[in-house]
Amino acid sequence: MPGKVRKRSPLQLPERPYIAIGLEGSANKLGVGIIEHGPDGTITIMANVRHTYITPPGEGFLPRDTAQHHREWALTVINDALKKAAISLHDLDCICYTKGPGMGAPLVSVALVARTLSLLYSKPLVGVNHCVGHIEMGRQITGAQNPVVLYVSGGNTQVIAYSQQCYRIFGETLDIAVGNCLDRFARVINLSNDPAPGYNIEQEAKKGKRLLPLPYATKGMDVSLSGILTSTEAYTMDKRFRPNRTSKGDDEDIITPQDLCFSLQETVFAMLVEITERAMAHIGSKEVLIVGGVGCNERLQEMMGVMAKERGGHVFATDERYCIDNGIMIAQAGLLSYRMGFQTPFSKSTCTQRFRTDEVHVAWRA
Amino acid sequence: MESPTSRLLESATPISQGAEAKVFRAYLHPSLQRSSSELQSNASDIREPILLKYRFHKQYRHPTLDTTLTKARVAGEARAIIKCLRHGVNVPGIRMVDATEGVLGLEWIDGKTVRFLLGGGAEDEDEDETLEEGDEGQVVKEDPLKEYGVSQDDIMGMIGSEIAKMHSADIIHGDLTTSNMIVRHPTPPKGVQLVLIDFGLAYTSTLAEDKAVDLYVLERAFSSTHPASEPLFASVLSAYKEKMGKDWLSISKRLDDVRLRGRKRSMVG
Repeated sequence: MPGKVRKRSPLQLPERPYIAIGLEGSANKLGVGIIEHGPDGTITIMANVRHTYITPPGEGFLPRDTAQHHREWALTVINDALKKAAISLHDLDCICYTKGPGMGAPLVSVALVARTLSLLYSKPLVGVNHCVGHIEMGRQITGAQNPVVLYVSGGNTQVIAYSQQCYRIFGETLDIAVGNCLDRFARVINLSNDPAPGYNIEQEAKKGKRLLPLPYATKGMDVSLSGILTSTEAYTMDKRFRPNRTSKGDDEDIITPQDLCFSLQETVFAMLVEITERAMAHIGSKEVLIVGGVGCNERLQEMMGVMAKERGGHVFATDERYCIDNGIMIAQAGLLSYRMGFQTPFSKSTCTQRFRTDEVHVAWRA
Repeated sequence: MESPTSRLLESATPISQGAEAKVFRAYLHPSLQRSSSELQSNASDIREPILLKYRFHKQYRHPTLDTTLTKARVAGEARAIIKCLRHGVNVPGIRMVDATEGVLGLEWIDGKTVRFLLGGGAEDEDEDETLEEGDEGQVVKEDPLKEYGVSQDDIMGMIGSEIAKMHSADIIHGDLTTSNMIVRHPTPPKGVQLVLIDFGLAYTSTLAEDKAVDLYVLERAFSSTHPASEPLFASVLSAYKEKMGKDWLSISKRLDDVRLRGRKRSMVG
């Protein structure tokens, strides 16, 4: 861009402390977070409470049941967060909620709670894009300035970079999300959903020895994952498959669930690291930030770290408190836009299942 | 390790590290280079530099997976380039292949990437930091296109027709971005040309779907790297349409489908 000068952040330091509550419930986690932005630029996390809807092994979470879970737990979780932060709802500056994207029914029930609180305490509402919430929280926690963001969760797989007040999507999945792929395979081999199916896949994969050939599907900066899931599932029908054996690393020609978890992770993560590297090379960035539920997978972090090191850069990642869906990220992104003067009028306080990351005007960045 | 390929790599000068490979400038016959004055004029081609694309071992990938991928990609890239050459698409010529070591030697092309010529390089914040407010304006204002004697629109036209030639040969590039196109410097004998590079993800397909996805990838690269140049992509398409003739209809229909499908993914949460 001709004549472009490095701009200062348009975000001014607040003249007094601002406090926001964030309500998140786009999938099976109900999260409430309370954050404070101080006049000296400090950011304090006052509370970050989460309750997860866990289904029995072999089952996923259905929208209706998830919404019911959120309705049942909303008040308990909010009260818990308020108690931890030692404030009352009167002290808040704004109420932030997830506008989308996500599952319809759970989103609606959380938005309803947000609207009710807004009316009861006459506080302004701020609708937040879930993906932007993840990115802003990741930047805040890690201190990464302008990273390439890999956003990997149960519903999203995107490679994102900031450009001109917008988080542009460079690459994404062409079919299912990576978390969905892992979770569905966990169901196939009957792994527990507690604490998370992806976590249990990770633990099983650590015991895997054998790398089985799986398709490797990158298209430019995009990936396709559904075929890999099918191929991995097909191995469970193979006559060498032994569902109850563990990998021992001897020469016996058998396939264990551990081997499958291992092969699935190695292949899928190699693809994700590859598209992230492609985006980094394309933009010329050296920082990479991993956000989203799959982002707490240590193997993914490790692979990304090796890649970043090869390119002379760093990887930034957070732990499960901030990686997995939480309320604090909604509060953070919401408060940033609230401080820039953004509010969601009551009549527009809807939610939407379709809300792309690049639709948000990122007013608070230069 | 003492293979001729590794010796060649040792003598090479590193240029850059791309997405998946390191790029070097080298001479196939370093010893001849020194005594070049003694050589006959008809041997000038061996004195020309070549570009080495070295797919080094990726530490993050499982070794087995890495070896298979590297081998398949070097061989696949060489195959796609040869097929392009046969169909008159502007691509770099092949100088050497060593699939096991992951090395591909290509013709050296003097020129600049389309991305650079369109000014997509200044997007990075890190870069901005190093530039001072005063002298920056002059550096950027000098239009790099002038040196090449072509307009932006000419470049878009060349992009469209090169891609059309490639697609008519049923080759899908797989990673069309403005960084993967070089405008050859207008020095004789070849003059200004748009050269497609990096066939690392190329494959063969006759399907309109794959060709449409190829165009869609480029469209997205345009909009993500050159935010203001979206109308430019329209002129790429019109040149493409002209060259493709009757095949355009099915591809265009498919491209609309792919665009819709691309947006539809916003529904997942």
